[in-house]
Amino acid sequence: MSARKIWSRAVLYFVLILFLLFFLFPIVWLLLSSIKTHYQTLLIPPRLAFKPTLEAYRKLITGGMLKSFKNSLLIAAVDIVLALVLSLPAAYSLARFKSKFNENIGFWFLSIRMAPAFGVIVPVYIVIRNMRLLDTTFAVNVAHLLINLPFAIWLLKGYFEELPLEIEESALIDGASRLQTLIRVVIPTSMPMVVSVAILTFMFSWNEFLFAFVLTSNQGVTVPVLVASLAGTMTFDWPLMCAVSIGAMVPAFIFVFAVQRYIVRGLTLGALK
Amino acid sequence: MIRLKEQYKLLLPSLAITASIVAFPTVFLLYVSVHQWVLFIQEIRFIWLGNFYSILTSKEFIQSLRVTALFVTSTCALTLLFGLSLALILNEDLKGKGVFRSLFTLPAIIPPVVAGFAWKFLLNREVGFIGGFLFPLMGYKGSILGDPILALLSVIMADVWSRMPLMFLILLAGLQAISPEIYEAAEIDGAGYWKALRFVTLPSLRTAIIIALIIRFIDAINLFETIFVMTSGGPGIATQTLPLFGWKVGFQYFNLGEAAALAVLMLIMTIFISQALIRRMQK
Repeated sequence: MSARKIWSRAVLYFVLILFLLFFLFPIVWLLLSSIKTHYQTLLIPPRLAFKPTLEAYRKLITGGMLKSFKNSLLIAAVDIVLALVLSLPAAYSLARFKSKFNENIGFWFLSIRMAPAFGVIVPVYIVIRNMRLLDTTFAVNVAHLLINLPFAIWLLKGYFEELPLEIEESALIDGASRLQTLIRVVIPTSMPMVVSVAILTFMFSWNEFLFAFVLTSNQGVTVPVLVASLAGTMTFDWPLMCAVSIGAMVPAFIFVFAVQRYIVRGLTLGALK
Repeated sequence: MIRLKEQYKLLLPSLAITASIVAFPTVFLLYVSVHQWVLFIQEIRFIWLGNFYSILTSKEFIQSLRVTALFVTSTCALTLLFGLSLALILNEDLKGKGVFRSLFTLPAIIPPVVAGFAWKFLLNREVGFIGGFLFPLMGYKGSILGDPILALLSVIMADVWSRMPLMFLILLAGLQAISPEIYEAAEIDGAGYWKALRFVTLPSLRTAIIIALIIRFIDAINLFETIFVMTSGGPGIATQTLPLFGWKVGFQYFNLGEAAALAVLMLIMTIFISQALIRRMQK
C-alpha cells in the first residue's frame, strides 16, 4: 500500500468515527442514564463510574406501562396482516389492469401518504367517535391502515409492473384464476418485496404518534404516546424516561435486524426501478 | 380477452375497499376546507375560499412558512450531504464496513418521539450532557432550546440525526447497483477518484438521489413529533413549522375549517414539488 493510500484510509476512518460518535452517542447516553438513579442523572459534570441499578425498569414494569407496549405490538401486528391482505390483490390488479384511470388512482393513493397528518386526523377522529371506538387499539389500527395501505399499494404496484409476465402466463393458460395466480405464483416470487413492505408497515405503526395521541387517552395508549406524555410533564423522572425510550427501541431493533437484508433489497426493488 | 377481464373481478373488491377507505378522508378534507367550522361554537357554513384567504393572509402562516422553508431545505441538504458521503465511504473496501453499516441504520428505527426526547435530554440546561455540561464548559450558560436560533438549529440537527440513515440506505443500495465495468472503463481512461465520482458515480446515482430526496422532502415537510416533543414550536413560534401551526389551529383553536384549508394548501405544495422532482428524474 502506498503512503498516499494509507493516509486516505486514515482520513476515511476518522470521518467514520466522527459520524459514529454523532449517531451513537444519544443512544448510549439514554442507555447509561436508564440504569442510573434519579439523583445520579442530575449530577453535573456527569459521572461515568456509578453503580448501575435496574430501578427504572422495575418501575416501568410495575407502573402499568407494559400495557402500552402490548398495545403497540398488537397494533403493528394486526396492521401488517391487514395491510398485506388488502394491498397485495389491489396492487396486483392495478398493475395488470392498465388504464388512464389506474395511473391517476395510483398517484391519489400516494398523495394520502403526502397529506399532513393533522389534516387527515379530523375525519378519522369523527368516524371513530361515531363508531364509539375512541381509546381502543382498533381505532389506532384503522388510522394507521389508512396511511399504510395506500403506501403499500403504491410500492407493490411499482414492483408488480416490473415482474416478467411469462411466469404468470403459463399459470393462467393452465386454467388458474387471477387470484390463484397471485397467491401461488406471484407472491412466492415476490417474498423479499412483501417482507420489506411488512417492515415499512411495522416501522410506521410502531413509530406513529399523532393519530395514536388524538385517538387514545388511557386504555389504547401506544409507546410513542407514553413517551410524549412522560416528556411533557414538568416533574421529570429522567431514568424512567430513558428506560421507556430504550424499551421503545428494542422491539424495532430486533424485528428490523432479523430481516435487515430485505430492507435495502426492498427499497431498491420498489423505488429504484 | 373477455375471460381475462372476468378474472380481474376477483381482485377488484380489495381495490374497492381500499379506495373507499381512502376516499372518505379526501372528500371530507375538501368539504371542510371550504366551510366555516369552529368546534363548539358555530353552525357549519359554506364560505367559498374564506378559510384559504384567512390562512394565507395571517402573519403566523407567513412566519411558519419561512420556518418550514428553512427547516426543510437545510435538513434535506444536510441529510443528502451526510448520507451521500457516508454511502460513498462505506461503499469502499473498508475493514468492518458491515458493522458500520448496521450501526448507522440504528437511528432510522428509533421512533421520532424518542429521538426528540433524546436530544431534548442532551440539550437540557440543568441535566443535559451538551446543554448542561459541554456548553457551559465552552462558556455558554443560556438555555439552548430557549434561544430562537439555537432551537431551530437543534431541531434540524435532531431531524438529521433520525432521518439521515434512511437516506444513507437508499443511496448505498443505489451505489451497489452501479456495475463495476463502468469504473474499470473510467480507470482505463485514466480518471482518478474525484473524476470518476463526478463523471461516473454521481450521474449513475441520479435516480437514487432523486427518489431519496422525494421521500426525505415529504417526511420533512410533514414532520411533527420531533419538534413537538423538543420545543412544541417555541420559543414563541421560532420553530413552529406548518404542521405544528396546523395542529394549533385545529386542535387548540378548534378551527377545523382553517386547519383543513391549511392541510389542502400543504398537500398542493407537497404534490407540486414532488411532481417537479419526479419529472426531473424521468428526464
